[in-house]
Amino acid sequence: MSLPPPAASQELASCHVCQKVSPIRLENCPRCGAHLHLRKPQSLERTWALLLSACALYVPANLMPIMTVSGLGGGEANTILSGVVAFWQMKAYPVAIVIFTASVLIPILKVAALVWLCLAASGRVWASPRALSRVYYITELLGRWSMVDVFVVAILVCLVRFGTLMTITPGPAALCFSGVVILTMFAAMSFDPRLIWDRHRADLADAPPP
Amino acid sequence: MKRHHPWLSWPQLREGPMQLACHLCDTLQAAPRLREGDGAYCCVCGERLYRNRPHSLAHATGFSAAALIFMVLAHTFPFLTMTSGSISTRLTLMEAAHVLIRDNDPLVAAGVVFFTMVAPFILVAGMLYVAAPLRHGVALPGAMRVTRWLQWMEPWSMLEVFLLGLIVSLLKLGKMAEVEFGLGLWALGGLVLCTAAALGGIDKMELWDRLEITRKGEANQT
Ligand SMILES: [Zn+2]
Ligand SMILES: [Zn+2]
Repeated sequence: MSLPPPAASQELASCHVCQKVSPIRLENCPRCGAHLHLRKPQSLERTWALLLSACALYVPANLMPIMTVSGLGGGEANTILSGVVAFWQMKAYPVAIVIFTASVLIPILKVAALVWLCLAASGRVWASPRALSRVYYITELLGRWSMVDVFVVAILVCLVRFGTLMTITPGPAALCFSGVVILTMFAAMSFDPRLIWDRHRADLADAPPP
Repeated sequence: MKRHHPWLSWPQLREGPMQLACHLCDTLQAAPRLREGDGAYCCVCGERLYRNRPHSLAHATGFSAAALIFMVLAHTFPFLTMTSGSISTRLTLMEAAHVLIRDNDPLVAAGVVFFTMVAPFILVAGMLYVAAPLRHGVALPGAMRVTRWLQWMEPWSMLEVFLLGLIVSLLKLGKMAEVEFGLGLWALGGLVLCTAAALGGIDKMELWDRLEITRKGEANQT
């Protein structure tokens, strides 16, 4: 089985802005003026670098307090996980699940998915290209929802300002966690899914015909 | 210059057979014109390549205009008002950013403002700027550049995530104090729905074809 050839094999590049297919030698898209390239430049290197930075920021994001609740009974620092546990103990199970999914599960799964995609694109693990494309699509779709915890902090800080009675102030983890979300979003954007299919085409070409 | 096909909803500039490369697998394939409502799928990976969405620009114009009105309301009226004893606090996005800056977190404040105010505004206003005149074959100055901005801004507009954040906060605060919904919350709901409808309804093929035609038209006149 052989697949129809990719546009890149004919020196044709699909514009990443307007999708018009033009010869790569033009350098700029004749329709919208965007710079043309066959594949996103240094896609894997950039994705790895962004993923590593995201992982490094993820540690302080979970260890440091995301907000501090201070009131008459002194102050209490909340981390992301302690917030989830508090909701669970309050028997607010749906909220606990939403926060846990958005701030713990999605970032971890997203980084794992991108690592898997990078490894598959560089040929170190094998997986069906269709499944990988699906994974990439879901990764791009879900990443933004992790931001919900940062928004909750912003909302609570604004609403709960009752002086000595009760006040909520933001913690350093809010910044770290926004950094994690932004970096993983950039990582997903810099990954080029066409590399998966390039690898697949190369594998098919190497395999002896049955 | 304009060429109307019997069942096509918009004219297209054709300098030869149209070809398209799938954005997932880069397979080069013919891109035939479709009937309204039909979609074209990649023959290798099955990804949808494009779809002919009927009245795409009219929908985008209507929904982005509505979204702009909702946006004004959402920023004017508070989302929530919380009362504890004699003190009451109101939540608007500007207020939240102000408090964050006062609490020494200007970067988080900048992020919140960008994701919930700047990016959605560029998206909605830019769409109206491009789509409304383009329906009548007119491209305002810089329409192509604005269309590129729209594409960049799309992932960073996080109003629906902010709405989820509001619901979570509401459940968290409900037990502590009296929380009232404001008009802003309903406006935000409308804004999220209208932005999604405007973005989901726009046909990028039609948008770029029409932009290309207006530019060629201008070049011919001079
Ligand atoms: Zn282009
Ligand atoms: Zn494809």
